[in-house]
Amino acid sequence: MMENLREIIEALIFISVEPLTTAKMKEVLTDVPEPDIEQAVRELVTRYESSNGAIRIIQTAGGYVFSTRPVYDPYVRRLLQIERKKKLSVQALETLSAVAYHQPVTQAEISAIRGVDSTYSLHTLLENKLIKIVGRKEAPGRPLVYRTTEKFLTYFGLNSIEDLPSEEELKKLMEEENT
Amino acid sequence: MITTEFEPTPAQDGYQVKLQIFEGPLDLLLFLIKKKKINIHNIPIAVITREYLEYLSHKESINLDREAEFLLMAALLIYIKSQMLLPREQPIEPDVDPRKELVDRIVDYQKIKAACSVLREKEDEMSQIWKRTALTAPFPEEDLDLIEVSLFDLAESFFTLMKRKQSESQRIIKGKEISMAEKTNEIVVVLKERGFLDFLEYLDAQETLEEALIAFFCLLELIKARLVVAIQEQLFHTIKVWLRKDA
Repeated sequence: MMENLREIIEALIFISVEPLTTAKMKEVLTDVPEPDIEQAVRELVTRYESSNGAIRIIQTAGGYVFSTRPVYDPYVRRLLQIERKKKLSVQALETLSAVAYHQPVTQAEISAIRGVDSTYSLHTLLENKLIKIVGRKEAPGRPLVYRTTEKFLTYFGLNSIEDLPSEEELKKLMEEENT
Repeated sequence: MITTEFEPTPAQDGYQVKLQIFEGPLDLLLFLIKKKKINIHNIPIAVITREYLEYLSHKESINLDREAEFLLMAALLIYIKSQMLLPREQPIEPDVDPRKELVDRIVDYQKIKAACSVLREKEDEMSQIWKRTALTAPFPEEDLDLIEVSLFDLAESFFTLMKRKQSESQRIIKGKEISMAEKTNEIVVVLKERGFLDFLEYLDAQETLEEALIAFFCLLELIKARLVVAIQEQLFHTIKVWLRKDA
């Protein structure tokens, strides 16, 4: 393995504006075998994770990015003069999870699942770029079809859509709640 | 969203649920099912319908859109009850149970609610984490809601500045004279170095009123020549002047 491979990758992640994917790393490090890159990334992540520093590397939306630890949130907010990060409203969150689990999906389908007209919530989510229009359904009226975006993944710290709790996990949660 | 004071008959339950917020009819049904500890796959429609209607009658605020959704569900409940009252020769089979469709919907909805609580936790976690990229904004992103400012906006902010400067500048002894060409050069150099400059701040930093005036005209010329662009990120925000990317 290249002697300073970990440090090279560290530099690449550091300067990236978007989460840096292993595919992108491979483009830069053409002559390094893939398993080596993956191992170096793992080591790098563990090194930050096991240190007591304020910084760590998180995996999100399929890539790696530097982030602060939660303890330092109040100070960062003071620097950026942000009182509290905005949270999604209950309606928006409900609509969003309905889209996430049923995508690709239309407005009528979402409204049926929730039992509530969801036009407005979908509009808000579109504005916030948490969902996107991916086309039209071949059905009467050719309604628009929605999907979640990459920003949806980063927003919730998910690596991919498969990271969402599975049907079984949800069932378990529901049973816990019922008892 | 429905906000209301929901008080089930105290004699029955001995407790009150205040300010319960229900997202919609399914949310309300789910709440009633949990409250009555009902087995979701064998819902006593009569009981749940009574509770449901009671809630509707207790509701104070009326939102017509939402009202329709709640009433639609009430109608569905009564319809299901009537279906179940019809005399049958054989006992009800699970497949033709008139409740089945509604139960499926409630179960589906319950799943979404469970997913919501998971996502909310993740949102909380993420809200305390800051990515290194939080601060970088070298050039306004294309999708930012930018407003290109008009001549009137520029002139207006300039004149307010002039008034302020006028009172200060009386003691300034007339210094070197500066031409428009020199000033234009100076502005372009600053823009090339920094990418942008704050319109008011820049004019305010000029030594004399005369120089500020020249700088203002230079900026207007540059905007006219489409070499730079004056942009406001939002209404009433500071005006920034950017070198055009293609210039």
